[in-house]
Amino acid sequence: MLRPFSRCRAFSMEQTSSKPRLTGLLSNETLARVERMRLVPNRRRTNRAQGEHLSGKGGTSIEFSDYRDYVAGDDIRRVDWNIFARLQRPYLKLYSHEEEMHVTVLVDASSSMRSEEKFDRAKQLAAAFSIMGLMGGERVSVFACNHSGGGPEMETRMAGRVSTRRVFRFLENLEPSGDVPVEHAIESMLRLHHGRGIAIVLSDFLTFGDVSRSFNLLYSARLELFALQLLGPTEIDPEITGDVRFVDSETGDALDISSAGELLGLYHEHRLGLEQYLGEQSRKRAGRFVSLSSGDSVERILFETLLRQGWVQ
Amino acid sequence: MNWPGFSAIANAWWLLLLIPLIIFYFLKLRRPRVEIASLALWQSVVNDQRVNSPFQKFRRNILLWLQMALLILLVLAAMQPFFVGGSARSRYLPILVDCSASMAATDVESGNSRLDLAKERVREVVENLLPDQRVSLIAMHSTAQRLTEFTDNKRILLDALDQLTIRDVPSRLEDALRMTQALARTVPVESVLVYSDGNFPQRVSFDLPFEINYQQLPPAGSNAGITAFNARQAEPPNWDVFLRVEASAALLGTVGLWQDGQRLGTATFVLDAGQSQRITFDVESEISSRLEAKLEVDEGSFDSLAADNVAFLDLPTARPLRAYVDPELKNYRHALRTAENVELFPANDDRAVDSDVRSAAYDLVISSKLDDRGIDAVTRLFIGAIPEDVSSLIVTPVVTGLTEFIDWDRSAALLQHMQLRDVQISEDITKQDDVEDANFEAAGYSILAHGNNGPLLLERRTGATIEYFNLFHTENSTLPYRIAFPIFVSNAVQIARQEAGISEVRASKTSVLPSREVAADTEYRVVAPSGESETVRSGKDGILNGVAAFESGRHRIMDGGSELTSIAVSLLDSAETSLASVEQIQFDELSVEAADELLDTDRPLWSTLAAIAFIVLLAEWWFFQRPAVS
Repeated sequence: MLRPFSRCRAFSMEQTSSKPRLTGLLSNETLARVERMRLVPNRRRTNRAQGEHLSGKGGTSIEFSDYRDYVAGDDIRRVDWNIFARLQRPYLKLYSHEEEMHVTVLVDASSSMRSEEKFDRAKQLAAAFSIMGLMGGERVSVFACNHSGGGPEMETRMAGRVSTRRVFRFLENLEPSGDVPVEHAIESMLRLHHGRGIAIVLSDFLTFGDVSRSFNLLYSARLELFALQLLGPTEIDPEITGDVRFVDSETGDALDISSAGELLGLYHEHRLGLEQYLGEQSRKRAGRFVSLSSGDSVERILFETLLRQGWVQ
Repeated sequence: MNWPGFSAIANAWWLLLLIPLIIFYFLKLRRPRVEIASLALWQSVVNDQRVNSPFQKFRRNILLWLQMALLILLVLAAMQPFFVGGSARSRYLPILVDCSASMAATDVESGNSRLDLAKERVREVVENLLPDQRVSLIAMHSTAQRLTEFTDNKRILLDALDQLTIRDVPSRLEDALRMTQALARTVPVESVLVYSDGNFPQRVSFDLPFEINYQQLPPAGSNAGITAFNARQAEPPNWDVFLRVEASAALLGTVGLWQDGQRLGTATFVLDAGQSQRITFDVESEISSRLEAKLEVDEGSFDSLAADNVAFLDLPTARPLRAYVDPELKNYRHALRTAENVELFPANDDRAVDSDVRSAAYDLVISSKLDDRGIDAVTRLFIGAIPEDVSSLIVTPVVTGLTEFIDWDRSAALLQHMQLRDVQISEDITKQDDVEDANFEAAGYSILAHGNNGPLLLERRTGATIEYFNLFHTENSTLPYRIAFPIFVSNAVQIARQEAGISEVRASKTSVLPSREVAADTEYRVVAPSGESETVRSGKDGILNGVAAFESGRHRIMDGGSELTSIAVSLLDSAETSLASVEQIQFDELSVEAADELLDTDRPLWSTLAAIAFIVLLAEWWFFQRPAVS
């Protein structure tokens, strides 16, 4: 379990309002609130290293978890002698095991993210999730993929408050370009990643390929998927009529559409179908999926949408 | 179902333009470019089977379809399609429009005349004229008048139609058909359209070389009119004036009589349909005067025709008949001396005729000398005289022989009420061999009586003068001893009275003005009641005749700026007043019935197609110009 509040490292709103902005991605107020928030994974996937996350296996922390019957070979130091004195039977006292969780943030930095502030919103969310991880004592890695074939840009294995500047600098310097599909970006990221935890994928997921293989790889890598689809307002609800020629921002390919206005109904069907497919693929692998509008503010996404859906607390 | 026909089907070749249209459409199709993040979603939409359904495929190229529809519509319009009407389609179509007096009869409710209705229907035909059709408008009244050549110029046709006016005369279908027959010699005429109220003689002596589509106009309202107006001299200076009033329906009203603008009296008439009523007035007139009769129906009754409500009659000065009789013709002088209102010249039988007597003007001349043709008279009767221009047709000199009247024209004014069968003639009037009756007619003579071997009595009218030639001398016959003789003399007197217009006068009818004696070979201007004028020239004999008079009323004959005289004419036609309508026209070999339905003309569709094409063009313009992405 993540502890809801860090005990002493939270900024108060009053303290940050008078200070200069630490980053262009998030306001100080938002940053202060984000620092008090924590990611809420569905499953306990942690590294062996000591951390704030309680291991499901039980462990050596002082936080009591449960009792069980003593079996041969158990460490007799864990026997609760008070119970033994009262019941004349040995019971082992179990404690929660707190381990470190690796938060991996993957930002789709292909050209398709350039439109309608999708990339800006992705960077803001990536920053927010990274801050949550760093403030929660997790190890944080941030990846950004853009060009097919090329390796991802990354800032890996960051930990502690001191890494916040690295995170901000890395994200602020990102520019969208390239044509890498998101499934390839995930695979590229996995080739460089080590550790269990959460994989937060920020993308529009508008790909011609199939994400199921990449999601499988994430699952195999013991990474719980947090998939966030970011679509622009006109992608969610396009207002197009007549004959148009669509040009792909990544590939430059063209597609002629006649009577586009008549096809909007079908478009919505296919868009919702994609959301449903991505949601199913995520849930099959114990992950989560949410589709967001880049027109919504990052505060609204964080403090309303994700908070209400239990992604963060 | 009648499939539409095409007047210019060769224009269908223009449909080949569809090929370059389709090619150019796909070559030149310009779409606004819209950059989007990824084509992934739209590609899946396009790949959707529903998008590629036939209907969706159609919608995807709707601009092309609009352009193809526009081209097809324009080509169809150029092919000049038309809905085939019920009537046979003719390339050359003469249209006969009745514009006689009865066509002025109006409806009770609408007030439209028959001519207005006919114009409306003809206008519809002209408006729906197909491009290869030619129409000739012919006005039909007492004669036929060609208004236009065969033309497809609608403006000319409609202008001519607008200028068509009522003529206050009866209609003669036969003349119009003969004119159409003449036209049919220059162009192929298959059918003729006739618009009429059917007020013409049912029997028409004409061999139809084409079909007739007789479009009978619906009947008008009730009508009453004056159909006869005459006067007979009573005891001078009195005249008995007679009017005949007829009605097409039960009507009552009054007839007023005016003399030189002074109202003389009013008579009431009450008539049922088809009845007539004779109305008499006693008029005193020592000098010539003008009579005018006006008919008015009572309030609440409807009189549909105005032209027959007025009639005119000019009364001459009351005087005795002036008769010059050759002193040698004692039988005739004896018969005339006892006749009333006859002044005989020379007064004395034995006195030689002096030059003053011969140079005076007479109403009747009876003489045995052809030299007396120089005496001024409107009626001349020659006894035992053979005119020079027929002397070569008759064996002369006349030999003695026995001749009888074989046949005579009993309807001739000179021979009416006479029995000539037992009259014996001791002169043998024999025509030359190889001479037929037609030879006399060619010389201008009508044969009134035939003897055993040739004509016995000839008639010749020259201008205003009528001459009779009794080829045998009555003294060489038993005629003076028969009862027929005083009748013969009385008939001559009666003819002279009528020709001189002193005993009985009848109102002149429209169509042609009565002849008038004027200066020879002089131009005059005849002004109709409506103000229209016509310049006419008198003949070398000083007779002004053959002047058309299509309007009821007084026509003024103007010599320069001054009025020489005036002549009044009236409709006075029983058939026109009755508004009788012929349902079936009986020709020599067949009969033609009035069409049961209105003429269903061929209706051209090009204008409709052009209008639809224009709408498609607007739709295409809107479709092309509308914002592609908003």
